[in-house]
Amino acid sequence: MKIKRILALLLAVVMLLALAACKPAEDKPAESGKTPETKATEANGETKGGETPATQGGETPADTYELNIKMWVPDAAVDLTKRQIEAFNASNSYGIKVTATIDALSEADSATQVLNDISTAADMYFFAQDQFARLVRGGALAQVPPDMVATIAADNNASVVAAGKSGDTQYAYPLTNDNGYFMYYDKSVIPEEDLDSLEKLIADCEAAGKHFAFEQDTSAWYNASFFFGAGCHSDWVLNDDGSIVGVDDDFDSDKGLIAVKGMEKLVKSKMFLSSSDVAEFANGAAIVVSGTWAYNDVKSILGDNLGATDLPSFEVDGTEYHLGSFSGCKLLGVKPDSDTDRVYAMNLLAQYLTSETAQLERFNELGWGPANNAAAQNEKVLENPALVALNAQNQYAVPQGQIDGAWWDIAKVISAEVKEAKSEDDLKAALSNYSSKIYAIFEKTDAEKNAWSVIGGICGSSWDKDFPMTDKGNGIFESEALELHAGETFKCRQGGSWDVNIGDPNSGDPDGNCVVEADGTYIVRLDVNAETIELIAQ
Amino acid sequence: MSKEQKEAQAVMKQHMGLKASQRLSNTIVYIILIIMSIIWLVPFVAIVLQSFRNETNAAGELVTWRVSYWLPKKWGIENYRSLFVDTSFPRWYLNTFIIALVQCVVQTIIVLCMAYTLSRFRFKSRGKLMRFMMILGLFPGMLTMLILYRVLSDLNMTGEHAVPGLILVYVASSGMGYYVSKGFFDTIPKALDEAARVDGATRFQVLYKIILPLAKPIVIYTILTAFMAPWGDFVFAAYIAHAKEAGMNVAVGLNSWLDKDHIVKYYTRFCAGGVMVAVPVSILFMCLQKYYVEGVTGGAVKG
Repeated sequence: MKIKRILALLLAVVMLLALAACKPAEDKPAESGKTPETKATEANGETKGGETPATQGGETPADTYELNIKMWVPDAAVDLTKRQIEAFNASNSYGIKVTATIDALSEADSATQVLNDISTAADMYFFAQDQFARLVRGGALAQVPPDMVATIAADNNASVVAAGKSGDTQYAYPLTNDNGYFMYYDKSVIPEEDLDSLEKLIADCEAAGKHFAFEQDTSAWYNASFFFGAGCHSDWVLNDDGSIVGVDDDFDSDKGLIAVKGMEKLVKSKMFLSSSDVAEFANGAAIVVSGTWAYNDVKSILGDNLGATDLPSFEVDGTEYHLGSFSGCKLLGVKPDSDTDRVYAMNLLAQYLTSETAQLERFNELGWGPANNAAAQNEKVLENPALVALNAQNQYAVPQGQIDGAWWDIAKVISAEVKEAKSEDDLKAALSNYSSKIYAIFEKTDAEKNAWSVIGGICGSSWDKDFPMTDKGNGIFESEALELHAGETFKCRQGGSWDVNIGDPNSGDPDGNCVVEADGTYIVRLDVNAETIELIAQ
Repeated sequence: MSKEQKEAQAVMKQHMGLKASQRLSNTIVYIILIIMSIIWLVPFVAIVLQSFRNETNAAGELVTWRVSYWLPKKWGIENYRSLFVDTSFPRWYLNTFIIALVQCVVQTIIVLCMAYTLSRFRFKSRGKLMRFMMILGLFPGMLTMLILYRVLSDLNMTGEHAVPGLILVYVASSGMGYYVSKGFFDTIPKALDEAARVDGATRFQVLYKIILPLAKPIVIYTILTAFMAPWGDFVFAAYIAHAKEAGMNVAVGLNSWLDKDHIVKYYTRFCAGGVMVAVPVSILFMCLQKYYVEGVTGGAVKG
């Protein structure tokens, strides 16, 4: 009986507790729901009530302009950014006073978090350049004011400036130029004279029973190294809205075959390890390909045995090919806002945060390689082993433009197919498999991308319609009968793009187009091998 | 009597004859079980061992990264100290604990009331309601994620205020998890209720004086599952926390240490964090373990 009573009491207490517990869940939002609103109105009041803030052109602002912003920067940079903002408050001549709430967010996750919910996202954020197109498409980046574009372009590394551009519009500020990879090695295992040869390095690792870690199976970012080394390119075409509209890619070619032959040597080695985690040095690796971000970690693990240098060369059919890489950067973005003064003030802050001083501070405290030309020539920057290695590798690097998201998954499987390959035909199959998949992104089949067509100011069209041609064998293509008029111009192109096109350089037309001499109905005959076009009257 | 004894002896004999082969098969079964348990336990043992690794390298830095050996060369609790002093882990831990505690209490009450009502009361459209909830339950919870985010964001319950938001979401859907409890309540004879009612007990008295004492295992089971769920939730918690450290639970927080900028410096602390997450759940489980099996199987008699 007693027990039951106690149980009843307990239950009552639990239920009471539950009610109490319910409250904060319902109360809090209401309470805190108010705060941002009031805050927002206060901020607005200040904005509008306060004297005219920095206007376009940045003429004399009366008094101060309060700027409340949220920022997302990587964990390591939070403290430094706070100090830099204070320095900006103290030094700027516009009277802008910034109060920033800074939260830690890895620049690799910025686009995901910003695009999750733009309304609650930070007003300014660091991001890695590969997210640029997504952010522009999602309307998460404000255009850089025209009067600032020229300074940015003049002060910073050209490829970094270009990475913040979609079409002709500048959307983001250069922050670093250090997002690339190179080779860390254990000096106690790898002799210095072998550093330039992939074959010797593999042999050294095999002899020492140590791993050669180079992330091939799971990352196209790393395995593209072999393709760039062999001279291949993969360029994606972007329009002004940040949409990817086409690709120009020659991985599936003779050069690509050289690349996969080099890759084959590495991935078939028994000491090959597909990883870019520098902790592998503590787990029996002698070489890890990674980037500047890992420098301090490698230093901790290897101590004085740390070596850093550019990637080696591989040899195919007697020719040496130096491994390539992607070079990339980090950018600073400003979120669009309907309040133009506010946006302009944020842009001024962004300009300060990406200035030479700020970039040098970031190098000194965080080891981030500067994008600013003057900062990059600073002595200390030139002495940092990781940046030295990166710079050495950068000669062979390809700036990482905007790449269609699907590419990473399509390209990363190449290495697995290479590992399984038993003959050269298997290697070729891996490449053609790759190319058919990337052209399928734009819904172009192999046949479509190889097909030729006539295009021009003909038959009532004005360079906007492709007239198909049929393959007659031996590189000869013929169109249907077309009614052409004297003076009309046209060209033949392949795959509906201008990457491969043939005209008549001797026609006298400034663009090298073919010119129709007399009215009539013609078949256009193209000889791809001789690169000649002739009109056959019907 | 003697006949039965004889039969028993015969049975015994049969068993004696089987003894050798039975022993053999037992041995094989045990070997398989031992191998399986080793495979299952290895990750846990490894995490515990790593979390106590406390050695330094030549430069005097703590070896915080992954290494190729199992047994720490030097033992110590530095990782735990640092976990609670230098990182946001205590905040994540507290967040998760608050969520788990509130959910454990509220969800238990809601579920038990729900199960009691549906098991004992007969009201209009009771069947329809149950079918409706079953159909709702068939949709994956992820479907609601976007719209829930919108709602929570408008209520300012995302980011650093994610904790009340998460509690609200977890608790709001708890009413639909009544099946096991209802199944258990159905097995308690209605005659008991009726006897109590005849004696003048109210419906509520029937619940807490008759049903609940008899349904102890299922109450415990409900408490346990409600408490454990928030510790492991990742997808929804990550979405709601919106990269704000103050609003993360342990799963989301620890995951943020796995990226390339953190992993080398945080690996051993990550392991220590993993061990810490297991502690409250394990303690609760050990205390309530004897009821758990009964609870899981008890409700399964009929639905």
